[in-house]
Amino acid sequence: MSTKPTSVAVLGTLADFHREPIAYNLSALVRLVEDLQPDLLCLDMTSDEWARRDFAGLPLEYREALVPLAAQTDIVVVPVADERPIAEPELQGVRAAIGGKLRQTLAYLQRSAPSPAAINQGLRHHVANHLYEVLAGLHGRHLRTSAKAHAHRLAGNVVQAVRRDPGRRVLVVVNVRFCHYLRQTLRSYADLDVVRYSEL
Amino acid sequence: MDGRVSVTRVVVIAQASLLREAWKALLSMQPGIEVAGDAGSPEALAARALPGGGCVLVDAQTGATADLVGRLSRLPREWHALVLVDASQTSQIVELLRAGAFGVVSRGSSVAELVSGLVAAGRGEIVIPSAIAAEVLTQLLDDASTGVDRPASLSSREAEVLHLLAQGLTNKLMAQQLLLSVRTVEAHLRAIYDKLGVTSRTEAVLWAVRHGYARGG
Repeated sequence: MSTKPTSVAVLGTLADFHREPIAYNLSALVRLVEDLQPDLLCLDMTSDEWARRDFAGLPLEYREALVPLAAQTDIVVVPVADERPIAEPELQGVRAAIGGKLRQTLAYLQRSAPSPAAINQGLRHHVANHLYEVLAGLHGRHLRTSAKAHAHRLAGNVVQAVRRDPGRRVLVVVNVRFCHYLRQTLRSYADLDVVRYSEL
Repeated sequence: MDGRVSVTRVVVIAQASLLREAWKALLSMQPGIEVAGDAGSPEALAARALPGGGCVLVDAQTGATADLVGRLSRLPREWHALVLVDASQTSQIVELLRAGAFGVVSRGSSVAELVSGLVAAGRGEIVIPSAIAAEVLTQLLDDASTGVDRPASLSSREAEVLHLLAQGLTNKLMAQQLLLSVRTVEAHLRAIYDKLGVTSRTEAVLWAVRHGYARGG
């Protein structure tokens, strides 16, 4: 239908912190996505979760902000996960102490972010990404490999969604830990134009 | 920033002023909705000659639907009526659609269902509960003449869209089911209209029902 590369933006969110849910104003995220009005909104959930409307295991920003917004607008939700990423096991000893500090820092980054934009650009974005990498490192190789495989599957399904409906405006909203890998992978496809969300 | 979806303008018709205020307060908080006004009756709205068009949410009092049927035709053509009904009764819905309503929404619906119904009706789509859509459309067929009765060479995607259209789905619901954008579904619908030789959604739906597209599978 269209020969022009399809615009895809990846927006990272940072609302759920494993065992440490924090107070977070989701209205800013709703306003941001409402303003962008993407044609397709790719979310890290499985087709089964979407079909069953089973959002219990999904992040707060999906349950409370993006799914309700899509229900009331022309935004079409595309579930792009094949399965849920594996849960992080409990850390023990020194690793647990370091992990706790890292989560506190991530929570601080979230609390102190003035807007969803802040977590998607500049130093805060890179710091969050590295903290997640260190956290994954604390859990060992298996978790890191699994997270990477999950991001790889997300990317594959985003590409499929784009190829099913080329030329549309596609927004991918995932946890910030998958952003870098996802953007990098999506950039390798010639029919996709990975842009900043503000340029979508 | 092309392709941004415009807001749907909504006018509320309800006899009681408190009810109108409540509806306006609720709807004004919803994304993609702009409350353009309110009126106590279809006649009052017609007399006001509101510019532009959009959707009219008609909240008829319980049991007053029969009275409403004869008065819907007084609404300005650019304003498409979506009627709140107590229950999804086929005969009542058929009567309302024949009288000029673009759809109905049950009082038991969620806010999200209501809002998507308003958006769809505002665009000129027919809004019917999908569970009884085929039945409603078949009844409408009894007294409608589409003037079309020829097979068409539809692509498999267009056939899928037509199948969903015949089940009474709105463009958004079709798009969500097929994981396509609403704009792509609209493009498929335009192609379908061309191939079927019809000029409106209603004609396309009737063609689809007549040719068995409303059946499951």
